Amino acid sequence: MTVPHVPGADAMAGVDALVTDRYLDALLAAAERGASVAPADANLNRDLREATDVLRHSFVRVHPSFRFEERLAAQLAAQAQDAGDASGGTVIAFRPRAAGSAAPVADPLFAAIRDGTLDPADADAVARAEGVRSLTRPLIVGGALTSAAISLVGVALVAWRASHAESRTAHERRDGVLAATSAGGPA
Amino acid sequence: MARSVFGRSEHTAPVVVLDRDRRLVEAARRDPAQFDALYRKYLPQVYAFALYELANHHAAEDATERTFLRALAALPRFREQARPEDGPEASTFRVWLFRIARNVIANERRTQRRQPAASLDAALGAGLSIADATDVEGSAVLRDEAAIALRAVRALPDDRRRAVLLRFVDEMSTAEIAGVLGKSEGAVRVLIHRALGSVARELGAGRRGGHS
Repeated sequence: MTVPHVPGADAMAGVDALVTDRYLDALLAAAERGASVAPADANLNRDLREATDVLRHSFVRVHPSFRFEERLAAQLAAQAQDAGDASGGTVIAFRPRAAGSAAPVADPLFAAIRDGTLDPADADAVARAEGVRSLTRPLIVGGALTSAAISLVGVALVAWRASHAESRTAHERRDGVLAATSAGGPA
Repeated sequence: MARSVFGRSEHTAPVVVLDRDRRLVEAARRDPAQFDALYRKYLPQVYAFALYELANHHAAEDATERTFLRALAALPRFREQARPEDGPEASTFRVWLFRIARNVIANERRTQRRQPAASLDAALGAGLSIADATDVEGSAVLRDEAAIALRAVRALPDDRRRAVLLRFVDEMSTAEIAGVLGKSEGAVRVLIHRALGSVARELGAGRRGGHS
């Protein structure tokens, strides 16, 4: 649904958003206190209040498995040891996986982050780094050959022909026979 | 009156702790093995954020792992940037950590979009199991409403969805969410307000559909 722009509508939206924010603050504070009853706020639209209450109950706290927690703790300890030794090694995820799950992939940006050339909290820098990385990914994408792959095929063909002198000679010999025939020479 | 910065008055001035994790961060900087305390403290929050964003257990573990490994590697360059108005409970380390998590998860979601069928199946499965877990009263209505609400959240634009998750799942303040998303507090309030409006509309439609 398109809402026509009304002068002052942005200011009203800001006020409504502030009312919602205050209600959320009160709601989360009540939850922290262990209060079972949600705070009442007559200023807040009833539908929004109900949506808020539903979401608060829908988003349950989740915790990773103990095995995962300890495995990652061990990886971090190894990385910390590595940093302490200043040996410059790289920690690569390596762990057993559940059947059917994808194999772990080492973080391609880790070296740049460790060296200080990439700030992992900078969204733009990380996106750029990911973009650059995606351009240098495998040559076959979705079953189609990229232009880089085609170039490589061309290079491979030239190399193959150069390394197969016999077939080239045979080809040239056949061409020579055909040329002689057409010129009226001995068959 | 001009306040002395380097004079003796600094000994009597009240200490404003801007980052509640400052001691842990400083300890981890001195000895990287001490990062374990920060890891244990924030693991559930980062994992929960990743799970609700990605709706896939394995993808959430991968994103969590990558987040903490990157954070430890970049910790020497972390700078505390808390503001007094953020309050004594503000944690800029948490904001910084979640900025890293957001970037990791954003890339993971881009990867998921290349496999839409698998992602959708995973999302529905995770959402329904999460909704089941909230059904503390055994009420089918609550379970259905939770499922509708979670689906509505997943369908939100990226920034609205992230803001809602950080507010409800990680119970961040508006100021912290603004830090994570790189937006003003006013913008974050509007994002959440509009997101709740979308969820309310979906819940209303679900109720009307249920009654008809």
